[in-house]
Amino acid sequence: MTSNTENIPMPKSNRALFLEQMNRTFRSNKLTGVGAAIFLLVVLAAIFAPLLSTHDHIDQNILNRLEGPSDQFLMGTDAYGRDIYSRLLHGARISLIIGGVAIISAMIIGTAIGIIAGYYGGRTDDVIMQFNDILLSFPTLILGLIVVAMLGPNMQNMIIAISLTSIPGFTRIARAPTIVIRERDFIEACRALGYRDWRIMVYHILPNVLSDVMVMASLWLATAIRTEASLSFIGLGVKPPEATWGGMIREGFENILDNPWLSIFPGLAILLVVFSLNLLGDGLRDAIDPKTREA
Amino acid sequence: MHTMPNSKQSRESDTDIILDVRKLRTSFRITGEWHAAVRDISFNLRRNETLALVGESGCGKSVTALSVLGLVPLQNGRVEAERIQLGEHNLQGLSEEEMREIRGNRISMIFQEPMTALNPVLTIGHQVAETLLYHRKMNKEEANKTALELLDKVKIPSASSRFKEYPHQFSGGMRQRVMIAMALACKPDIILADEPTTALDVTTQSQILALLNELKQDSGMSLIFITHNLGVVASIADRVAVMYAGKIVEIAYVNSLFAQPTHPYTEALMLSIPRSDRDIKTLHSISGQVPPIGRIPDGCSFAARCGLEQPICRKLDPTLKPIDVGLTHEVACWVRGDYNLTMIEEHANG
Amino acid sequence: MADTLLRIENIKKFFHVKRGFPVPETVTVRAVDGVSFEVKRGGAFGVVGESGCGKSTLGRSLLRLIEPDSGSVTFDGQDVLGANPSKIRALRQRMQIIFQDPYSSLNPRKRIGAALAEPLLVQGLAYKRKAHERVLKLLDEVGLHSDAADRFPHEFSGGQRQRIGIARALTVGPELIVADEPVSALDVSIQAQILLLLRELQKSHNLSFVFISHDLGVVRFFCQDMAVMYLGRIVETGPIPRIFEDPLHPYTHILRDASPMPDPNQSKKFIHVDGEVPSAVNPPNGCHFHPRCPYAADICKKVSPDWHQVDAERGVACHLFDTGNTGHDYPKR
Repeated sequence: MTSNTENIPMPKSNRALFLEQMNRTFRSNKLTGVGAAIFLLVVLAAIFAPLLSTHDHIDQNILNRLEGPSDQFLMGTDAYGRDIYSRLLHGARISLIIGGVAIISAMIIGTAIGIIAGYYGGRTDDVIMQFNDILLSFPTLILGLIVVAMLGPNMQNMIIAISLTSIPGFTRIARAPTIVIRERDFIEACRALGYRDWRIMVYHILPNVLSDVMVMASLWLATAIRTEASLSFIGLGVKPPEATWGGMIREGFENILDNPWLSIFPGLAILLVVFSLNLLGDGLRDAIDPKTREA
Repeated sequence: MHTMPNSKQSRESDTDIILDVRKLRTSFRITGEWHAAVRDISFNLRRNETLALVGESGCGKSVTALSVLGLVPLQNGRVEAERIQLGEHNLQGLSEEEMREIRGNRISMIFQEPMTALNPVLTIGHQVAETLLYHRKMNKEEANKTALELLDKVKIPSASSRFKEYPHQFSGGMRQRVMIAMALACKPDIILADEPTTALDVTTQSQILALLNELKQDSGMSLIFITHNLGVVASIADRVAVMYAGKIVEIAYVNSLFAQPTHPYTEALMLSIPRSDRDIKTLHSISGQVPPIGRIPDGCSFAARCGLEQPICRKLDPTLKPIDVGLTHEVACWVRGDYNLTMIEEHANG
Repeated sequence: MADTLLRIENIKKFFHVKRGFPVPETVTVRAVDGVSFEVKRGGAFGVVGESGCGKSTLGRSLLRLIEPDSGSVTFDGQDVLGANPSKIRALRQRMQIIFQDPYSSLNPRKRIGAALAEPLLVQGLAYKRKAHERVLKLLDEVGLHSDAADRFPHEFSGGQRQRIGIARALTVGPELIVADEPVSALDVSIQAQILLLLRELQKSHNLSFVFISHDLGVVRFFCQDMAVMYLGRIVETGPIPRIFEDPLHPYTHILRDASPMPDPNQSKKFIHVDGEVPSAVNPPNGCHFHPRCPYAADICKKVSPDWHQVDAERGVACHLFDTGNTGHDYPKR
C-alpha cells in the first residue's frame, strides 16, 4: 500500500529551500530588503575601505584643518586636517569587526549555555540562569567600562566586553525554545534510541533553536555597534589615531558649533547601520513567525 | 429530504422541520484560489431529532455547522446556499447583528475542547449568566438564579458552591457540562455539538451523552451531533448523514444505516472499526487518502478508492437518491444507488 | 514461542509537585503504584485505562525513559533497572517505543532519510550506503515511497508520520515495542491501515508489544492479554476475550459497557456511571475505585484490595474476591 505521489511535488534540495526562505523573508516586507541592502553596502564599504578612500585616513594635514565638505575632501576635514570620509570608511571596519566578532562569539557561547540550561533543567538551569541574570542586570555600558578599564582599551578587549554583555540575551533566547522542544516526543525517541545528550542537543535541539537565535543576532549586532560607539565616545575605545565612529564624534564635540560636520557624519553612519540592521532583523523575525514556519 | 422540489414524497409533515439547508456551498481562499470545503449539500433537521454528521477529518462536517451559524470568517471564506431556513427565518439574508440574536439564543453551539472554549478569567457562573443577560435581558439577580438552575440541570454537583469557581478548577467533563448549560440557557431550538465528547474519557463521554439525550427529550429541542465515532453515532442519533470530501454520501435513520450501510465508503468505514465485543479476523482498510481540498477529482470523489467504480463514476458526481420504499434512506452512488438506468448508460458511452 | 520476554514486578513511580500559593506545598502524584505483569514473546499485551491512570508513565518506565522509583523490569532474563549505561545502550536496540502524536514525534528540521539513518549510525549498525539501503527498505516495509527519504515531516499526513515513527522504531531491530496509543490520534480508516501494518510487522519481525490504549476495540483486535489500570494500579488482568465476556472488576465492567458500540440496538441504553476519574494527586483511601463502585463496602473504603489470582490466566484486585466471596453477578452481555 504505497502512497500516491502522482500530483505531489518533488522533494526540495537544501539550496531550493534556502532560496524559498529568502524569497519569503524579503517578499513579505519590502523594508526588509531595504535594510539588507543598506547593511550590505556598509559591509562592502568597510571591506573596500582602502580602495574607496580618497586619502590616507591617518595622515594629518594641518593646513587643511576644519574645512567643510569640498571636492577634495568629500566630507570635510577634522581638527587635525584628516579626511573625514576616509576615516569614516575605516571606522566602519572597526565597528563591524568589533560588533561582528563580539556577537558571533556571544551567539555561540550564549546559545550553548542556553541549550544546556534548558535541556537539563533543575539545578543546572537554576545556577546558570542566576549567573545569567547577574550579567544581564549590568547596564551594557558599565560592564564594558569595567572590562576595558581592567584590561586596557584595545580592539580585543572591546570585543570581550561587548561579547560579555551580549551573552545573557542569547542564553535566554536559546533556552526558551529548548524547554519546549525537550518535551516533544521526538526527543524522547532520541533517548529511546540511545543517543547521548550532546548529540540530542547539537543535532536535534540546536537546529530547531537556530532560527530564533539568528534573528536576534542581527538585532543585537545593531546594539553591539552602538555600544562600541558609546565606549569609544567616552574615550575607552580603540586608541587614536585609529578612526572609530564614536571617537570621531567625541573629537568633533569640541568644535561642534562651528564645524558640526565633524560629528554629524559619523553620527549618521551609526544611525544608518543601526537602522538598517533593525529593519533586517524585524523582517527576519516576522518571517520566522511560527505560523509560517511549518510550510 | 427534498432533493427535487417537485417530487411527490411521503414523509412526516413539513411543519416538523426546524432547519432546512439546501445546496450549501462553503469555500475558502487558499493561496489566492477559492476551493469548496462543503459542496452543495442539502439536509434538514426535524423537531426533537438528533441528526449526526459523521465523517473523518476534512470531510466538511465542522464547516457545515459553522456555515449555518454564520461563523465562517468572511476574510477568506464564503458561504453560499439556496436556503438556510431556521423556522421562518432565512439565515442567509441576516445581518451580523441579527445573526447575533440567533446565536446562543435559537441555535447554540458546543465545542470539542472545553478547556479553550471557556474564558479562564471569568467564573463559570458568570459565563452562564452572561448569555441570559445578553439574550433574555434579565437582570443580574434573575440571571444568576437561572444560571444556578441550569448548572443543576446539567448535574454539576454542589452547583451553588461551585458557581463562583473558575474553569481551571473543573475537570474536562465538568467543563463540558458548563458549556452545555451555557448552550441551553436560552432554550434554543437547536444545539450544534461539534465533537463534544471526543476529548473526554470513555466513562465521562458516556455520562455526557446520557445527559444530552435526557436534556433533549425534556426540552423538545433538536441536536446536530458532529463526530467521527460511529459508536457514538449509534448511541445517540436518530438520523445519520455520512460525509466525505464535502458531500453527504449517505443519509438514513440510524437503524437503517447500520443494518444496511450502502455507500461503499460507509460500508468500508464500518468494516474498519475494531469491536470490543467480538474477535475480528481482519479490518478493512481503505487504500489511498482523502483528496485534499484543492484537488478533488471530477465525478465521484470516492471513486479512486472505491473498488466498485464504473466509468461513469469518474465523470459524473452522483446525487443523493432514496433506495428504500419509505424514501428515508438515501445514497449518492451510481453503483449502489437507485437511478434511471438509461442515464447511466448514456454517460457510460459518452 | 510462549516464553516470557518481559516481566515487570511492582513498578512504582511517584512525582513530587509543588503546588499552592502563597506557601507552596509538595504533593505526591502516585502515577504508577505497584504494577506487575508479563509479556510473552511474540505476543501483544494491552494496557487499558482512562486518562490519569498512569499507563503512559508505565510505558516509559519500562524503557527507563522515566526512571521508576522501585520495582523490577526483566527483559529476556536481563535486569533492566539495574543495568549500567553500556548495558542500557545495548538494551535500547532491543526495546523501542512508538508515540501517540504524529505531529510531535518527528524532528521538523530533519529529512526523513537522515532521521532514519541516524539510529543506525549511532548504534554502529550500518554506515553511509548500507545505512541508506536499510532506510529505503524500511520505508518500503511501512508502505512509503522511497522519495520520502528526501522529504520533511510536514510534507506528510498524520497516518504517514505514524508509519515513519514505526520505521524509526524498527531501525535498530527491536524485539519489543511499547506502543503508546499509536492510533488514537488518527482517523478511523487510517487507524485500520496502521493496525494492519503493525500486525504484519509483528509477524515479519517477530515483535512483541506492550500496547497502551484507551480504546477497547483496538486492544481486542491487536492484543491477546491485557491489564486494566485505574489510578496507578492494575485492577484486572487476563486474556481479552474472557475479560470482555465476563469482567471481574466493577471498573472493567463499567469501562466495557460505557464504550460506545457501532450497533444501535446495543448502544441505546446508557449505563449509569457515577462520578469522575479522581485526580491522581489525592486518590481515595483504600480501593481507589470505591467512590464510584456500585458494590463498595466498608472495607473498600479503608483497605486496599489484595491481588487475587482467580485462575491460571486471570487476576483481579477487588474485595469482592476476598476469600469466601466469589465475585458478583453481572448481567451477561
